[in-house]
Amino acid sequence: MLQSGLVKYLRDGKGFEGTLIVAAVLYLLVFAAFPLIYTVVMSFQEVDMFTLGTLVRPFAGLTNYTDLFHRPEFAPIVWNTMIFVTLSIAFQLTIGFALALFFLQDFPGSTYVRGLFLAGWILPALVVGAVWRWIFAGDFGVLNYALQSLGLIDGQIYWLSDPAYALYSVIIANIWLGIPFNMILLSVGLAGIPGDVYEAAEMDGANVIQRFLTITLPMMGPTLGAVVALGVIFTLQQFDLVAALTQGGPANASNVAQYWSWQMSFQTYEISGGATVATMMIALVIVVAVIYVRSVQREQSF
Amino acid sequence: MNQIEIEHLNKNYGSLQALHDISLDIPVGAFVALVGPSGCGKSTLLRTIAGLETITSGTIRVAGEVVNDKAPRERDLAMVFQSYALYPHMTVEQNMSYSLRLRRRPKAEIDERVGEAARILGLEKLLKRRPKQLSGGQRQRVAMGRAIVRKPKVFLFDEPLSNLDAALRVQMRSEIRKLHKNLGATSVYVTHDQIEAMTMADLIVVLHDGRIEQIGRPLDLYRRPANRFVAGFIGSPAMNFVPAEVTADGRTIAIGTGTLLKIPRAQEPGRKVLAGLRPEHLRLDGSGERLTATVDIIEGTGSMTFIEARIGSDLLNVAYAGTYETEAGAPLTLGIASDDIYLFDPETGRAL
Amino acid sequence: MKRYLLLAFALLFAAIYLFPVYWMYATALKTSGSIFKYPPELWPSEPLVQVSRVFAEHDIGRYLWNSLLVASGITAITMLLGTGAAYALANARGAKANVALFLVIVLQVLPPSLMVTPLFVAFNHVGLLDYPRTAVVLATAAKTLAFYIVLCRATFTQVPRELKDAALVDGNSHLGAFFLIILPLARNGILITSVLVFLQSFGEYVYSRSFIATRELQTATVNLATYLSANSADWVGLMNYAGIYVAPILIVFILLQRQIVTGLTSGALK
Ligand SMILES: Nc1ncnc2c1ncn2[C@@H]1O[C@H](COP(=O)(O)OP(=O)(O)O)[C@@H](O)[C@H]1O
Ligand SMILES: [Mg+2]
Repeated sequence: MLQSGLVKYLRDGKGFEGTLIVAAVLYLLVFAAFPLIYTVVMSFQEVDMFTLGTLVRPFAGLTNYTDLFHRPEFAPIVWNTMIFVTLSIAFQLTIGFALALFFLQDFPGSTYVRGLFLAGWILPALVVGAVWRWIFAGDFGVLNYALQSLGLIDGQIYWLSDPAYALYSVIIANIWLGIPFNMILLSVGLAGIPGDVYEAAEMDGANVIQRFLTITLPMMGPTLGAVVALGVIFTLQQFDLVAALTQGGPANASNVAQYWSWQMSFQTYEISGGATVATMMIALVIVVAVIYVRSVQREQSF
Repeated sequence: MNQIEIEHLNKNYGSLQALHDISLDIPVGAFVALVGPSGCGKSTLLRTIAGLETITSGTIRVAGEVVNDKAPRERDLAMVFQSYALYPHMTVEQNMSYSLRLRRRPKAEIDERVGEAARILGLEKLLKRRPKQLSGGQRQRVAMGRAIVRKPKVFLFDEPLSNLDAALRVQMRSEIRKLHKNLGATSVYVTHDQIEAMTMADLIVVLHDGRIEQIGRPLDLYRRPANRFVAGFIGSPAMNFVPAEVTADGRTIAIGTGTLLKIPRAQEPGRKVLAGLRPEHLRLDGSGERLTATVDIIEGTGSMTFIEARIGSDLLNVAYAGTYETEAGAPLTLGIASDDIYLFDPETGRAL
Repeated sequence: MKRYLLLAFALLFAAIYLFPVYWMYATALKTSGSIFKYPPELWPSEPLVQVSRVFAEHDIGRYLWNSLLVASGITAITMLLGTGAAYALANARGAKANVALFLVIVLQVLPPSLMVTPLFVAFNHVGLLDYPRTAVVLATAAKTLAFYIVLCRATFTQVPRELKDAALVDGNSHLGAFFLIILPLARNGILITSVLVFLQSFGEYVYSRSFIATRELQTATVNLATYLSANSADWVGLMNYAGIYVAPILIVFILLQRQIVTGLTSGALK
């Protein structure tokens, strides 16, 4: 009786859809929300190779945090991370926007050619990193050759091993990876601006630049906000490129927080340190994600 | 005997109460229209009957049996949706036979019933098509066919004609009536169009803000509206409402300019009321109770003339069957039979 | 005329953008001597197909097989748990559903390189690290699941609600309506999203690198990365390896390009 009641509840009642949501949410709680909380917990504990196997570890208070702030590499890595995010997004967005505007024009095959760019999005970042590493190669790399033939540089640039360039090499490759996604999302936003608005502006005497400044940009506001937020999120996820190109080196010159966290946990086994960096970064990502979700909801209601 | 009995039904969506204490009996074989403005809860009521919405409290009985906790598939009701809700990945034939196939009826029976429904609705040539390849009117017929093949106890219609053009709508009205008569099943028909309700239904249920305002036969609602809302909703063009005061003898009312009108039943002297005058009851020959007005706007279609007339600060719509020529600003003498004057309480809206 | 000029520019931009992909295959066809020519040959003067040699030398088959296993497992779990949840979330309204959706979106954005530390410690506790590929599958699926739910939900919202109602009235249970009516109509979106999940998982790196200690069980990304740091001068071998690895991805991409673009654009911002 009870059993058939349950079966009926699952087949016919609210139970069916509720069960589907609960199953997925449970999975996410176990494999995403729990680790999230666990990171925060570990950032307040002493965790190293010896306490790894036990559940009860010494409470460390804020020492993990203060230790971290006092490390000599802390400030440079924070600074690198900021440069990494800012430059990546600035260029991804500008190039992506320019391409989106270009492909908005009506010409044969525009959708197809635009789609080709997505190849960059779909390739594993690690492989992309390997290819860029070859492009960046100092003595025989094709990038140095191209820049020399264009007369932009004289000698060779040792992109990956020169501390002055290493971070920018990673940024260049990351921009390459991010362009397609920016371009596609911005294309969607641009396609959503009704054509008659432009026609009305043209009737009012606005030229191309004025139309871009007074119509395109303001109407793209919400999309741009969402794209920037997603850009921050994706840039902070970028690990594979760093691993393939520089491993954060030389001497942390190209290290960024998300890679540093992993290095501490898995290479120097300072697990509390890794967890502490992760906690701060996750807090940042969640703040950005909340802004993103809010802005998308506002966009939909309008 | 009643096919459907609803008692003290309440339905909440979170904090919003969509239906308030609905009680309604629907006799076997009746054609009942649920009518009311958009958002008043018609679809919600229909969907609770179908079992598509759970109810918050109350009981629903179908053929004497409480169905509160029954799934839609256990209720033996067929439904025609406003958007038709045809399965896009199935042909017309598959759409119509779907419910029978789910019930594992023998192939021969399915073919026969689908064939019969297709014949009745004139869909024989379209059986192999997909919904995408049909016109709006044809889709509407397929939706009906899908309901007919079931031979259900009850048909539920949710604004089935509102996506059709005006001419087709009028034609389908009478076809649905005819079908109802031939099939003999009970029909519950939701519409926001009072003309559809008036022309099709045996019984009309007027809903407003989730409450039943009045239940009655079409002409009863027209003649004896229980309140101001029903009076204003039923009838087209809508009834005029003019503030008035009952005079000392209780047998007449005075409207804005001081004009006195005799009323059908005596009222408490000095009472403030709202007088309801139907546009088609206002005569242009001044017979009966007289009102002097000026013409504001005049529109003629040949067979009908619509005049917006002004008495003091009150506006009256007049509908005259025939042609009448005058011009804006001209004086107009209107008349109305005393029996055609409705009175309502200005606060509660109740008919007096 | 202007339209073809625009097309020419478009192709030029695409060519510049896709140069790294070209360069990977061009290098793969060169001899190990000719890559060190300066200026570099833009087109291999004496192309040499070395795929099978590199394939055998590095035992690439084994690692690709591991990648395939991991990606299949991730995709299976994601589809199994995600499809129904996406459907239910597309229907559901109200506070609880909003919380669930918000949770899904926020959990989607957490960087794996930051989540890997607690996962490693927890998996170590429960002994999951003895089954490293399973550990990778379980961890990655949490990430792809969220992505999948967000995209598939957009697909399901495009299926009219009334179709489910019609199916229920016609005699389906909720379960039946989902499988017989809704799923067939959302099939394309589901398949494309699953392909995207599969391609993503096929290139997964962080979790594989952190959980899989045994060389035989490594995925191709990890193996390629090891090779990259160990033999950083063998560019021909590396580019062959990379080229072999991404070939299936590129083929799927070329075949499904149109659908992938529409799938992404319809759901990505929602
Ligand atoms: N699923 C729902 N969730 C929340 N509110 C709803 C839902 N369905 C209907 N409502 C609300 O209930 C009221 C009645 O709706 P409905 O029955 O569809 O009206 P109508 O008379 O136009 O068919 C409306 O205010 C509507 O907004
Ligand atoms: Mg409705």
